Amino acid sequence: MTTHLLAEFEAAEPMVAALRAARAAGWRKLDAHAPFPVPEAAKLLGAHESPVGWIAIAAGLAGAALAYGTQWWLSVHAWPINVGGRPLHALPAFLPATTIVGILWAAAGALLGMLALNRLPRLHHPVFAASQFHRASEDRFFLSLELDGPDFDAAAAHRLLAPHRPLSVAALGG
Amino acid sequence: MSGFSTRPVSDAPLRRDFGWRFTAAVLASAALTLLLAYAVVALLWRGTALWGTNIPFVWGFDLINYVWWIGIANAASLFAVVLVLRRHGLRSAVNRFAEAAALAAVAAAAIYPILHLGRPWLFYWTVPYPAATQLWPQFRSTLVWDFWGIMSHVVVTFLFWYTGLIPDLATMRDRAAARGRLGLARIYGFFALGWRGSVQHWARHQAAYRMVAAMVLPMLVSAQTIVALEFATTLVPEWHQARLPLQVVATGLPSGLGVVLALAALLRGGLGLGRYIDDADMDLLAKLTAAAALACGYVYAEALLVAWLEDQATRQAMAARAFGAYAGLYWGAALLVVVLPQLLWLKGVRRRARYAVPIGLAAAIGVWLDRFSLVAGGLLRDHLPRTGPLYAPSLPEWTLLAGTVGLFALMLLVFTRFVPVVSMFETRHEESEADAP
Repeated sequence: MTTHLLAEFEAAEPMVAALRAARAAGWRKLDAHAPFPVPEAAKLLGAHESPVGWIAIAAGLAGAALAYGTQWWLSVHAWPINVGGRPLHALPAFLPATTIVGILWAAAGALLGMLALNRLPRLHHPVFAASQFHRASEDRFFLSLELDGPDFDAAAAHRLLAPHRPLSVAALGG
Repeated sequence: MSGFSTRPVSDAPLRRDFGWRFTAAVLASAALTLLLAYAVVALLWRGTALWGTNIPFVWGFDLINYVWWIGIANAASLFAVVLVLRRHGLRSAVNRFAEAAALAAVAAAAIYPILHLGRPWLFYWTVPYPAATQLWPQFRSTLVWDFWGIMSHVVVTFLFWYTGLIPDLATMRDRAAARGRLGLARIYGFFALGWRGSVQHWARHQAAYRMVAAMVLPMLVSAQTIVALEFATTLVPEWHQARLPLQVVATGLPSGLGVVLALAALLRGGLGLGRYIDDADMDLLAKLTAAAALACGYVYAEALLVAWLEDQATRQAMAARAFGAYAGLYWGAALLVVVLPQLLWLKGVRRRARYAVPIGLAAAIGVWLDRFSLVAGGLLRDHLPRTGPLYAPSLPEWTLLAGTVGLFALMLLVFTRFVPVVSMFETRHEESEADAP
């Protein structure tokens, strides 16, 4: 049974137009694939960039707090060494590791947060079954429609896509 | 719309044969890397007595080369970061291999601090782990700063390079599969993490890429600054200076930019990617190198002039560095780092690889001389009279340096062989925008 239709476009503009029409017609289970970022299409699909930044900032702060806490606890409580009467809790000496570990966690948080939000790594996906899909990473644009109920069947999808002149429409699944 | 085809870039790593020149380069750099292995084993076996270091010159080649490689890595990353954050047209061409050069340079740099510990096999003592001895690292020691600084620098530089690479690895996967090379496609596919170019993924990817780039920025300043702070926290008059971190960061720039410039010129010719790295890219890169060299000129002049306002000990130490036994290194650095790159302002010079490559590499060598002058020359006038001989690197130290140069070259050659050297998705993006009416 066909579960997805995958329409291929030559440029970003018709793909975005078809996506907009699909949204207007009430299609909800949609995705678009492009060889480079198309912010307009991402906005239509409701993807937000900001969670990545918040995850990175939260990870960075957590990393910095952990680094500072570790240094403080080990130097003051677990292993206090008196070096010429210098204070055990030495803020200036703890700062380099604190900042740099915070940065490390923020960078790792950005990458891992992006992957988690994108549900990656996922080495297999139904769209990879389409014979032309390898060009999504090169120079073609794809709109994928998940067939969902009687109003959103293959015939409706073809009616929707026809005015935007896709190069091809592939049926996936089953 | 065929305007944004990046096939020449993606096809380069899929070529079966890279020609005898490439093979010869790989063999030469692999031989040097073997030499590195030999030098490391010799050091572990015999100890630091193999080196020319002695009181007061306790930091010799290990610190000189470490600071030098970090400088190259920093300038290369800085360049890539600025391009990513400014969304500049040039980034598509050079940011990918600037990132690769930074990664290779960081790897070369990270070897030295471990080797200079004296007992390198105990380096893990700087890691705070619950040891059976119940001892913990001394967090007020600069050695521990080094551990965190270098480890984070390596990881963040890698993350920056890899984050930008994910979509291009997906292109490589699809191109390799289209050519029927399924084994290769599986390897690329594994590292591409199943990237399928969903526009929602792209939006988050771009946010993450810019975020990681923004994180590299403070890392660059802090990595060089931490090294410089370790010098500055000593009581050696020529090192105990507030300006030292700025000076080390600023003089690091021409070396990395010079190396990126030389690499850009070589890649353009070697892989026939003139369309992706065009004259405008070379112009901007060369002008940046020349401008960074001017900034270095300012830093040099400031150090010399302000020294006359300092107390006697600092003034004498500066004079000893600039006019003493290592004066040749100091002025050689000034010539190669500050003066020679000014030729790049001339269009006829910067556009020709046969001038641009030597000038870029000479800037890197000049910064190496500067590091030598700082590490060895800075110790000429200490608080105590010096009785021992001057510092001169021994053969095992030269072997180590040659070895890390080989490792750097080998890593870059491997990148060129297996990974697209130009950021393909950026190129497609820009060319599609240029195509739009």
